[in-house]
This record gives sequence, C-alpha cells and structure tokens, in this order.
Amino acid sequence: MAVIALKDVKKAFGSLTIIDRVNLEIGDREFVIFVGPSGSGKSTLLRLIAGLEDCSAGQIFIDGEDVTNLGPADRQLSMVFQSYALYPTKTVRQNMSFGLEVARLPKAEITRRVNDVAQILRLDDYMDRKPKALSGGQRQRVAIGRAIVREPVAFLFDEPLSNLDAALRVEMRIEIAKLHQRLGATMVYVTHDQVEAMTLADKIVVLDRGDIQQVGTPMELYERPANLFVAQFIGSPKMNVMAAAVRDGGIAITGARGFVPQSVPANLAKIGARPEDIALAPESQGHLQGKIDVVERLGSDTFAYVVVENVGVLTVRIVGNAASVAVGQNVGLVFSADRLHLFDVDGKAIR
Amino acid sequence: MSIVGKNFTSARFRRNRWLLTGVLALYFVYTFLPIWYVITASTKTNPDLFSSFGLWFAGDFHLWDNLRDLFTIQNGIFRLWLWNTFYYSVVSAVCAALFATFAGYAFAKYDFVGKKFLFALVLGAVMIPQTALVIPTFLLLSKVGLLNTPLSVILPQLVFPPGVFLMRVYVDEAIPSELIDAGRVDGAGELHIFSSLAFRLLMPGFTTVLILAFVASWNNYFLPLVVLNSSEHFPVTVGLAQWYASATQGSGGTLLFTVVMAGALVSILPVILAFLVMQRFWQGGLGAGSVKA
Amino acid sequence: MPETAIAKRPRRRVLVNKTIAPYLFLLPFAVLFVAFLIIPLLYAFDLSLYRSALVGGTRFVWFDNYRRAFTDANFWDGVILLFKFGLLQIPIMLGLALLFALILDSGIVYAKSFFRISFFIPYAVPAVIAALLWGYMYGPAYGPFAQLATAVGWPKPDFFNPTTILPALANIAVWEFMGYNMIIYFAALQAIPTDLEEASMMDGASAFTYAIKVKLPMIVPMIIVTVIFSIIGTLQLFSEPYLIYNLARTVINSHFTPNFYAYTLAFTGQQYNYSAAISFVLGGVVAIVSYAFMLAANRGVNR
Repeated sequence: MAVIALKDVKKAFGSLTIIDRVNLEIGDREFVIFVGPSGSGKSTLLRLIAGLEDCSAGQIFIDGEDVTNLGPADRQLSMVFQSYALYPTKTVRQNMSFGLEVARLPKAEITRRVNDVAQILRLDDYMDRKPKALSGGQRQRVAIGRAIVREPVAFLFDEPLSNLDAALRVEMRIEIAKLHQRLGATMVYVTHDQVEAMTLADKIVVLDRGDIQQVGTPMELYERPANLFVAQFIGSPKMNVMAAAVRDGGIAITGARGFVPQSVPANLAKIGARPEDIALAPESQGHLQGKIDVVERLGSDTFAYVVVENVGVLTVRIVGNAASVAVGQNVGLVFSADRLHLFDVDGKAIR
Repeated sequence: MSIVGKNFTSARFRRNRWLLTGVLALYFVYTFLPIWYVITASTKTNPDLFSSFGLWFAGDFHLWDNLRDLFTIQNGIFRLWLWNTFYYSVVSAVCAALFATFAGYAFAKYDFVGKKFLFALVLGAVMIPQTALVIPTFLLLSKVGLLNTPLSVILPQLVFPPGVFLMRVYVDEAIPSELIDAGRVDGAGELHIFSSLAFRLLMPGFTTVLILAFVASWNNYFLPLVVLNSSEHFPVTVGLAQWYASATQGSGGTLLFTVVMAGALVSILPVILAFLVMQRFWQGGLGAGSVKA
Repeated sequence: MPETAIAKRPRRRVLVNKTIAPYLFLLPFAVLFVAFLIIPLLYAFDLSLYRSALVGGTRFVWFDNYRRAFTDANFWDGVILLFKFGLLQIPIMLGLALLFALILDSGIVYAKSFFRISFFIPYAVPAVIAALLWGYMYGPAYGPFAQLATAVGWPKPDFFNPTTILPALANIAVWEFMGYNMIIYFAALQAIPTDLEEASMMDGASAFTYAIKVKLPMIVPMIIVTVIFSIIGTLQLFSEPYLIYNLARTVINSHFTPNFYAYTLAFTGQQYNYSAAISFVLGGVVAIVSYAFMLAANRGVNR
C-alpha cells in the first residue's frame, strides 16, 4: 500500500529535543513496531508520521511524496489511539462513518464500507450503541474498525492494547496480526511492551532518548543486539550483564574469580548472557560461584536468581520445573561461551 | 455520599444528627426570612403593611390588587421592565457563554503565541473595579451615540472573563486531546471538530457558564443605571430601585410600598424557579471548576 | 480489501489548520474584550491625567488627580470603611459556608439537598432587590424587627446609626453570598476521593477528625480563591449602600464607599477626570490587597 520514509526528522519543544535526526524507511505492507521506554520519543515519532505534530526539521515522505507540510487530514492515514478516542456522543456506526462523511463519500458507499468492516470485526450487533455501552475489547474493535473503513494508505497504532486486561490483550494481539495478513497493509505500531513487539513485528525499531538504537527483525534484535540498551530492552527476563576485561586470552569477570577461556578483542568492557545461556552446575564447578536467592517456577520454565558476590544477581533459566533447585543452595554457573554478547566501553556490541 | 463506618444506630450519632440538622434549619429560617417577608408584604394593603405584623398575613388578602396595580401603574411600565431584563439577560448570556466557550477551548486545546500573556490578562480583568469600566464605557458609548439603547447594556455584558476561565478548566476535563487528534486523522478541519465533536461534550460546562452569565446580567444594576436614562429601557433592577427611592421619599404619590413589594416578588420568583429546575447544571459546573482551581 | 480501493491522495487541504484555529476561536471574545475592557481602561487612564474646570477648559495635569486622591479624606474614609466591612463580613460568610459545606458533605444530617439548594437561593436574588428587602425589614416604622421589639416592650432596634450600619450592610452581603461560597466548597469536598475517608476510618479517625484534619486542608486552595473573590467583591461595594442611602441619609453619605464616591463625582459632579483617577487608585488597592493576601496565604500553606 505505502512506503513511508523519514529523512533527518527532528522534533524539539524549545530547547528540549524529543526526536533527534531520525532516518527510517518503512516498506510497503510491512508491520513496523516502535519500542522503547517511556520518554524515548516513540509516540512522538508516530505522531510526526500522522501529522499531529509538526517536524522541527527534516522531511517525511509517503509513497515518495513529501507530506511534511500536510496536515493529518491530507495524509490518508488512519490511527488507533491508546484511549481509543471514540466519539462519545456518536453511535458505533456514526463513529465509523464520520471520517467518510467528512470526505463526502456517497451515502451508499459509506453504508457498504461500514457494514463490511463491521462484519469483519464482528461488530454487527453493536452498531447502534454508544461507546459507553461497550466493553473494553469492543471499544478497541470499534477504534480499529474506524481506522479500516477509511481504507488508508497505512495504519498507525499508538499503544492500542495497553488499556486492556492481560487475557484480552493476547486475544487482540492475535486479531491485529490476522488483520495485517488479511489487509496486507502497511502498519506502524507503538508499544512499550516488548512481547507485543516480538510477536507482531516484521521489523522492530528500538528507540531511546529520541534516537534509533537499532532496526531489525525481532530475531535479529534478540540474537544480535547492536548495543547494551537493545540487549537489555529486548528479551524477558532481561539479559544478564557483567563488567569484564580481557586477561590471559580469555574473559575475566570483574569482582569475581570467574574466567571464560575464549579469544576476544582487547576493547571488551562488558559481557552479556541471556538467562537461557547460563546453566547451573554443582558447587565449585563452572565459571562463577553463587547462591540461589529466589526461585520462580512457571511450570514450563524455572527462573533461578543467583547472587554472585561482587557481581550481582544473575538470572538463570532452566527448562522444566527443576524440582531439585532450592533457595539457599550454593551453585556453580556455566556460560555457553559461544553465545556470550560482548560490549565495549560505550556499550556497543563487539562482533 | 459516602458514610463509611458510621454507626447509624448509636445514640451519639443520632444526637449529632439532630443537633446539626437543627443548626441548618435555623439558618434556613434566616435565609427564608426576607423571601417570606416579601410574600406576606405583597398580599397586604399599604395601611396594613404598617399596622399588621410584618411576618404574617393581614386579614385583608390584597395580592391580586397589588399585582394589578404593579402591571398597570405608569401605563404598565413594569411589564416592559420585566421584558427588558429578560431580553438583555438572554441575549447577553447566550452570546457571552458562546464566546467564552470558544475562547476557553482555544486556551485549553491549542498552543499559540502569547497564550500565557492573554490568559493572564483575562484573569486580571476580574480585579478591575466596576466603576473603572462603567464610567469610561458610559463616556465612550455616548461618543458613538449608543447611550440609552439596549445595546449599551448588552454589549459590555458580552465580555465574561470568569466564563473563559471556567470553560478552559472544563474543556481540559471533558475533551481528551486524543479525541481531537482522532477527528484530525479522520480528516475533519478544526472548526468542524469543534462543532460536530467537541461542542456537544461541552454542553454541561456551557450551560453552567450560561446560567452564571445570565444571573450576572439579571442582577446587574450599576451598568444599566449609568448607561440608560429613559425608563422604557430600564431592567427591573433599575426600575424597582427608582420606585423604591420615590416611595421612601414619599414623593411618588401613587407609588405604594406594597406595589414595590409585589414587583420584587414577581422579579425574583422566575429566577428562583429557574434555579430549582436547572440545579443539576449549576451544581455540576461549579464542581468542575473547583477540582483544579 | 481490494487493492483498487486505494485512491491517490486528494488535494483537499483543510482550510483552517491548527495554527490559525486558536485565533479564530479567540476572535469574538478578544474583539469584545478589547472594545469593552481594554479601550475603556485606557480611555479612563487618559481621562485621569486631565482636569476640566468651568474656566480654562480641559488641561493636561499629569498625575495631579492621583496626588489629590492620595490625600482625599473622602476616598480613604471609604477605603477604611470597606476594610472594616470586609473584616466583619468575609470571615462570617466564609466561616458559615465552610461549616455548612462540611456538615452537608459528611452526610450526617437530614434533608441534605433541601438545605443545599435553599441556602443557594439568595444568590438568584439581585443585590438591589436583596438590599431593598432587608431595607424594608430594617425599617423602624413597619419592619418586623421593630414590631417584635415593640411587642415585647424593648426599644426599637436602630439599624441605621453609625455603629449599626456596617453590620446591617454586612448581613445583606452574608445573606446573598453565603450559599454561593458554600456550593463551591461543597463541590470541592465532593471531589475528594472516598478511599481517603475509608483510609482515615481504618486509621481510627472520627468523622469530625477526618473533616478537620483531612478534608479541610485539601480544599485550602479553593478557600484562598473564594477569599480573593470576596475581597474583590467587597472593595467594589455599591448597590447595597446606594439603595439604603435613602433610608439612612444621616450615616450613608455620597462618599460612603469608593465606588459610590466615584459614581457621585462622575454623575452628579461631572468630575469625570477625578472620578477616573479614584477608580484607578481603587483598582490599585484591590490588586495590592488581593496580592498581599495571596502572598500571606502561600507562605502559610508552604510552611
């Protein structure tokens, strides 16, 4: 449907820079997700694309056309808001047809489109209700329906699932994924929930403090994070990070006796190990020694939080319910040496 | 109303309840006293007003005669005064509330150059003494030849700064910014968003400002006193005060205290009734203003 | 959805964008604000710098009128009178308003909405008519107070002597505006979330302690606002003394309050220039007193 390109886009409020020179290309039919902590500028970036905020500098192109100076009304985009932003005085049908009426479409065309979309989203029975009389999930579907009927060139989603309870969130997540397959539309989606990002996205854009940290497929980000920030932001529980240095042709973990024999570049400053890349070993074996502080059993997996003196708490993932693991045990920790992530002083990944 | 953990059956609670209800009842008597007085007084003949007890009816029920007098004296000018008050108040209040709503919406939902300064100016306007405005307004109106016309009362009353303040607070509460953004993404222009999405949500706040502006205009005395001089343009407040003055000076001749009383009764009853009917609106709106102020 | 449905972006630019819109929304109010507030103020200020005499016509006198106002006993007597009036009336009015709002909010009494609404009713009565009604009731010949006193053999109460005129006027103002302030407090109290009450009950506080120690401090900002509005209203006192004037010629003179004085100067003395200066000095007094109170209140709150 549409290619969206951002060129040197900058947004500042007075001296406060929210978005700093962002370059990004969103491909046709791509599902792109912006993730980042609050204050990272992800919502602002989406609002810049929507035209709800004006760029301080830079340009935005949709299908090759410069839309930087067009208002939201003239960009042919649809947006689903965090609070849904349904018009409270209008019925579901009126909510969905408002944008079409503004565009002066023929009445018959409006009715046809609204009915089609209502069917897709199973909203037929609620068309004459006001938003007040709908459940959270139904409101969410109306908001999505309102976006679809306009047949936009791309869809924008601003944390659309954050107001739903956990079960409904999973259900709606799957519905949105199906919708993307069905419509084959370009979608740009903002969330702070990395699970949403990992499961929905073709491409994830990780933002922090107004800067793009990394762009890539979910697996690329997980396997090959470009820096410490991405490494710790993607993946749950978080990646374990330890200060380290090069010694005798191997990695010495600062503050502990641990040593991983592996040849590494000299500028190493930190290493990271995902919870599944650390294994428990009997006491006084393995690379590090520690004591189990807390055990969380999820059934399919078990997470052990191991205190390592002078290093901190490391999270270890064990498949299964790990019946033998108990709080207070002294254990050894074994790293999968080839799966360690290496970072330099600036937090950049060393490849 | 939450009455958490209160023990309704305890003797102390019941005693306090009666005691406090008694205090309120006492104040109610005080509140109602002048209104009761005007009710009884307007049923009396002029001699009875002086000879019978002020807070009870006299033997002779004279209300209808007083009302007939009220509406026929000086060729029934009182009817004209009532109409003038109504006309000035409705026109002033509707326009003032509308303009305040527009302005409050602009202050609440847009960023523009000079916003802080302009809002401070509007707030500062509340501190200006009435005379400081009314006297120069009088002189300026006389220069443009508007003196002693309905416009000379209506136009100055169209500026209602408290309404702007109230509406700004109300808009902030009643209209999420995302709603306006949704309208923008749906392709609607700013004016269309206001008229078809925002305004209906602002109705309760608008109604409150409407009522406040209406009361302010209905109660206004100083402005019409100064800018009007022919009695056919007077609102009730100015007209009755003039009758009252001539009655107290004894120079009115035909003007009786009882007629003034009947006039007072007739001019306050409609507003009191309107307040009772519309209480949902003024209470809601005053509450809205209080949350953030 | 079929691919063909996607139309090329139409060139339908919205006419009013969000840079222009706020100015359009402000326009009607702003025009009237300038015409009936800013221009009259500037004009009055200009007036206040001139003096017109029967002989010699109008001439520019700089701040002479202000100099005269600063030493005008008639003006300052009025200001001092208003201070006395305010110190008497505002605490009584707001104290009662607060008390009744707390009682009504606690939900402890019978007929809550009846009291709430009836206390507010006087606000609907124009100040002029309120003054007129109380003027009748104060009357020595036929007023009910005089009649009651005569009936029990007491001397008739005199509401129009130099010591009683202020309380008599203050009473009218309390009667008119107590309910209005009470409603504002009540609304502020109602906005306090109920879990606070539940929390304080769990802490073992009585309803009374809760009202005084928790609810009252939470509406202090609202109280400050009402005090400031009462100060502004008080310093502009006009209708009540103007109406009672005819009943109490001996104690109410034409410079009883500054507003009254400015009115008399302008419309009976034709001294528009000096009247304008008086109004400005009064405006200054209003601003200084309000500001001083705000400062004091903020210091008290932050301590």
